[in-house]
Amino acid sequence: MNRNTTSGSVPSGVLPMLWLRFSIRHALQSPLQSVLLVVILSLGVGVFFAVRLANRAAVASFQNFTDLITAESDGLIAAPSGMLPETVLGELREALKDEAVQIIPVIETTATLPRVSDDEAIGSRSTFQVLGLDLIAVQNLADRRPANRQWLANPGSPAGGEPDSSDLRVQARRLWESFRDPHSVFVSPRLAIRQRLVPGQEFPLVLNEAIVPLRIAGIIPTDPGQPEAPAELLVMDLPAAQRWSGWTGRLSRIEFVLEEGPDREGRWRRIRETLERLALLGPGGIAVGDGISLAPRWLVGSPADRRQSGEVMTRAFRLNLTILSMLALVVGVYLVFQALDGAVVRRREEIAILRSLGIPPGLIQRAWLGEAALLGLLGGSVGLLLGWIGAQGAVRLVGKTVNALYYATSAEQASLHLGEAVLALVLAVLTSLIAGWLPARAAAETPPAQSLGRGHGTTFTGPRWLQRTDGAWILVGLGFALLVVPPWRPEAGFRVPIAAYGTAICWTLAAGVLGGAFLKGLARVLARPALRVSHQPVIRLALSVLREPTGRHRLAVAGLVCAVAMTGGMAILVGSFDTTMRGWIERTFQADLFLSSDGAQSASTENRISPETWRGIASHPAVERSQVIQASRLQLPEGETMLVSSDLAFFRDYAKPAWRQAPQDDRVFDPRNNGSMALVSEAFSERFQKVRGDRIRVPTPVGMQDLEIAGVFSDYGNERGSILVDRPQFVRWFGHELASSLILVLRPGSDIEGVRAEFRSRHPGLAVFTQSYLRAEALRIFRQTFAITYALELIGVTVAVAGLAFTLVSVLWERRGDLTTLRALGLTRFELAAAAAIEGVVTAISGVVTGIVASLGLGWVLIHRVNQQTFGWTLETDWSWDQLLLLGLMVIGAAALAAWGAGRWGSRLPAEQEE
Amino acid sequence: MRHRFQIWLAVILCWAAVPGAVLAAEPVQTAEGFVVPQPGTRFLFPRDHGSHPDFALEWWYITGHLTETNGIRYGFQATFFRRATPRTETPGSATQAFGDQQLHLAHMALLEVQTGRFRHQERIQREGWNASTSVNGLDVRNGNWSLRMLEPVASGGRAPMELRGGIRGEVAFRFRLEPVKPLVVFGTNGVSRKAVEPTAASHYLTFSRLRVSGELVLDGQGRSIQGEAWMDHEFSSSQLGRDQVGWDWASLQLRDGREVMAYRMRRSDGTTDPFSTLAWVGQEGAVSQVGSDRFGWETQGQWRSPTTEAVYPAAVVLTAEDPVDGRRRRFRIEPLVAAQELTGALGGIPYWEGACRVLDESGQEVGRAFLEMTGYAAPLQGRL
Repeated sequence: MNRNTTSGSVPSGVLPMLWLRFSIRHALQSPLQSVLLVVILSLGVGVFFAVRLANRAAVASFQNFTDLITAESDGLIAAPSGMLPETVLGELREALKDEAVQIIPVIETTATLPRVSDDEAIGSRSTFQVLGLDLIAVQNLADRRPANRQWLANPGSPAGGEPDSSDLRVQARRLWESFRDPHSVFVSPRLAIRQRLVPGQEFPLVLNEAIVPLRIAGIIPTDPGQPEAPAELLVMDLPAAQRWSGWTGRLSRIEFVLEEGPDREGRWRRIRETLERLALLGPGGIAVGDGISLAPRWLVGSPADRRQSGEVMTRAFRLNLTILSMLALVVGVYLVFQALDGAVVRRREEIAILRSLGIPPGLIQRAWLGEAALLGLLGGSVGLLLGWIGAQGAVRLVGKTVNALYYATSAEQASLHLGEAVLALVLAVLTSLIAGWLPARAAAETPPAQSLGRGHGTTFTGPRWLQRTDGAWILVGLGFALLVVPPWRPEAGFRVPIAAYGTAICWTLAAGVLGGAFLKGLARVLARPALRVSHQPVIRLALSVLREPTGRHRLAVAGLVCAVAMTGGMAILVGSFDTTMRGWIERTFQADLFLSSDGAQSASTENRISPETWRGIASHPAVERSQVIQASRLQLPEGETMLVSSDLAFFRDYAKPAWRQAPQDDRVFDPRNNGSMALVSEAFSERFQKVRGDRIRVPTPVGMQDLEIAGVFSDYGNERGSILVDRPQFVRWFGHELASSLILVLRPGSDIEGVRAEFRSRHPGLAVFTQSYLRAEALRIFRQTFAITYALELIGVTVAVAGLAFTLVSVLWERRGDLTTLRALGLTRFELAAAAAIEGVVTAISGVVTGIVASLGLGWVLIHRVNQQTFGWTLETDWSWDQLLLLGLMVIGAAALAAWGAGRWGSRLPAEQEE
Repeated sequence: MRHRFQIWLAVILCWAAVPGAVLAAEPVQTAEGFVVPQPGTRFLFPRDHGSHPDFALEWWYITGHLTETNGIRYGFQATFFRRATPRTETPGSATQAFGDQQLHLAHMALLEVQTGRFRHQERIQREGWNASTSVNGLDVRNGNWSLRMLEPVASGGRAPMELRGGIRGEVAFRFRLEPVKPLVVFGTNGVSRKAVEPTAASHYLTFSRLRVSGELVLDGQGRSIQGEAWMDHEFSSSQLGRDQVGWDWASLQLRDGREVMAYRMRRSDGTTDPFSTLAWVGQEGAVSQVGSDRFGWETQGQWRSPTTEAVYPAAVVLTAEDPVDGRRRRFRIEPLVAAQELTGALGGIPYWEGACRVLDESGQEVGRAFLEMTGYAAPLQGRL
């Protein structure tokens, strides 16, 4: 049959008429079903949209704050590791003396509000980004960005406003007093409003190891038409920020803003070349080294690169979250498919009449697809609304994870994003079209002659592939085959476990099919003993239906299997993570006291402890052994990672690392022999594809260091990976002893709490944790990062249970003739409802059992492939049986209730009621 | 006139010989603790071409007229300011790279005479890595703008200078400035008084005629130029008296090889302060100077700035007795283009500084000039 040719002869107004009279009329006649479908779709789309918006908000909060104060720079330089010495400024100025470019040195650090009570949880206080800029020089950018750059005449400052010439000198002196005061800090208008801060007010903050009594010097000016500074941004004059951060004489980065003029691109290219050339020369522009040991003093980048680094850092996490967020939508596909196919069955007579009237099959197919698309559009639209509301909650959950694992974010609101909205809407329509494709074809294939009465022949048979168990086993096999495929590495340092996801999809689909077969088997197995025990017609009725399950039952089982398998798989992953983390935390936190800056509230903290302070603490009479940890961000060509240093022997003795590849001898722990050796974390090993015995080249301020990897240890602290070296090496390379944290082992018999209290009172800017507290906190933070996972799973399961209820409603609707007969035979409504409940429970049991079996496979894939390939963390498998059991019981219970309700509804159906 | 100059010189030398007696009569410091110019100060070069951080205010001011080989004309200004910041009790966080005791401002301007396009840019920096002045000789930097004397020691302070400047990314120049006449010191006994208050005075050193050569890059196109410039180096701790609202200043480079410098200190009631001065610089560099009662400064017409709405005189007529022949000379100083205002976006002091032609009584062009008019947007009392 050539549908295209046939449809060509039909008047153009027929399709809208079909939609109006055929689709919309039916939708209006059964509003409950329509609403339910729209709700399911909107839930799926809403979850997806919420997660995408929340991700976007978390990424957006990682920005190049300098842009807000200066202007978007044309480029920037930053050291590949550590800080830049400010002495390079003069060198750069000289090298760029022919270029009209503003050179903007920047120092960036973090700060937090002091703690209010002693038992505050880690991460409960938000982290401020403190930006140190030359507040006089930034005024030169007025040419580039004509705006209010009058920091020194800031209306908020005590000396601000239009000065009166009579006391101008007095005002100038006051202004300079304020400017010179190292405690002066500028806050955003948003923070000023939120915390009711006014210029001149004290604003104490934890900076490094001290509570610094800062004072509000003014409010960060907002340029007309530019975004307002975020609440977490604080600005200080550069030398003051250097002083409080402990980085006097050092800079975080240097930005370059070209002055207005022709050939901007060519001018930046020229500057970039000069910068790249200078980077490879020693200080003063003198060539040093042999070309092999030479490390670039800096890397040239752009603000876009910097903004992107937030995106790059969290990419794996966000990708996995996005995939998880599609769980409800995937389950939704089964339901929409079922609903549309059910509608084809119910309206088969009408379709046959339409066919008899000469409506071509192509047009009928289009009408059905149009209906599916409309459903998608409606569900999608409602989903956008739900998603946007949900995103406001999700953003906090995503933010907590990003805060704990990647960088400080205080994203509290997710803004609407047109691109994401369009994507979500397209996804909704596509989902609907995919689900509606087969029903549309079935509708189109309805012959005119089949305009006969209702009967068994009209019962939904479902897609044929749902009965193909052989195909399912092939999918299972294919899933196994995909397990050996390595992850896709689209760019250095980033990998996507595509094949592992392929395995998960194959197994989920296969489980869906096998679940149907299991239902049939289960009904038969149950039937014999049940019938032997009871002759109740209720049980007979329920089981007789399931012994030959309809396509609709199979689809319901498939939907449930999908939801249970994915949820169970995630539960196994989370359980395994939990078990592994608990073991790791107990092994790692063996010492008695752990000290860090009290400002260390997120993964990106820049707060350090000065050598004077940590030496003073380490020499306390109660301290038997101490461990100083120093760390620096490290930019390798393949991506960013961390360079950490500590006493490696202490690390072996007190952190008791779980080795993925243990060192082959003790040389790496011996300071006399470990000068060119390093240990790397498993995440590093996986991400950079380096194993024991390989060599890595680490750029440091004193040149490139060629290190041999002596061992690979498990570390769940970060997914960027870390290189661990002995501390003397680090001090030699970086020339400072600022510590990230300090670990203490006290003498036996010491009063740990007493020593802790003493340190706390002596250093109020330090956080001093006991072993047990830190273990509990570490676990709490870790569990908190999975909060969003639980929320997504719950929604997925809810959709699946709703789907089961929906299935039963459809099944009962199709059997309403039988129900009338049964009622006539004397069955009460209660008995009919009970029969439906049994039918639902048995169906749910099939879905749950198959789903749980599938979840074991999925759990294994998530742990040993997806997680391992994405984050580089090997986890101890914990099958989390209790969680699976709870999940199964909850689903079955919910299904029983839903089925009971559906049965009650079915028992009241009039025999001849039209749809 | 030459005779009179020789008498002044004798007085300077005499005061320098007995500084104690002179210093006792003059305040040594301002209320803020900055040094007040002292009569009889002996200048040592090249050191005194450099910076004097004990004074509150200092500038190196170059203005000039340029011509391309094809005759296209330009006017240019390049000024480097140093301003000591108020001394306060607060112990700051200043470092060598990011100092807070001195501010460095700089203004650059270029006038394309043919098109009338006037471009200018201002900069402000703190002392440190990106802006500095040397106390040993002329070496002033502000970002990628700089002015330095080449081989200063060998030449005894009259060596050629190199000026690097520009306006945003649109204009860049690198000029060689060669003094063609000796350095002159304006004022009496080395001090140029501006008001009745003894602290309102400066040391005022000038190269009244410099030969300019070099390259001007305009919108990406390089062009070779030649011309003449005027350079002031002035340092003080206060430029204005209590009743003064601003000043007008002009430098005339006459075709006969002489120059005229005149400034009129304006009082709040619109009258000219008696401390206003006019000086002739002879062909050999000899200076003869007269007070406000001996020269006339008449303004003609008005020009309103569209940016600051300040109303400036449109032209100036200067009358003075010629020290060579005693004849009363009348010079009309006429801007080449009206719109040559520097709007003070950063420094907060808008002023008009522009290239002019000089016409004599008969309307003949007899030289080129630069005219400066300050305090028209707002009174400058207490600011300088």
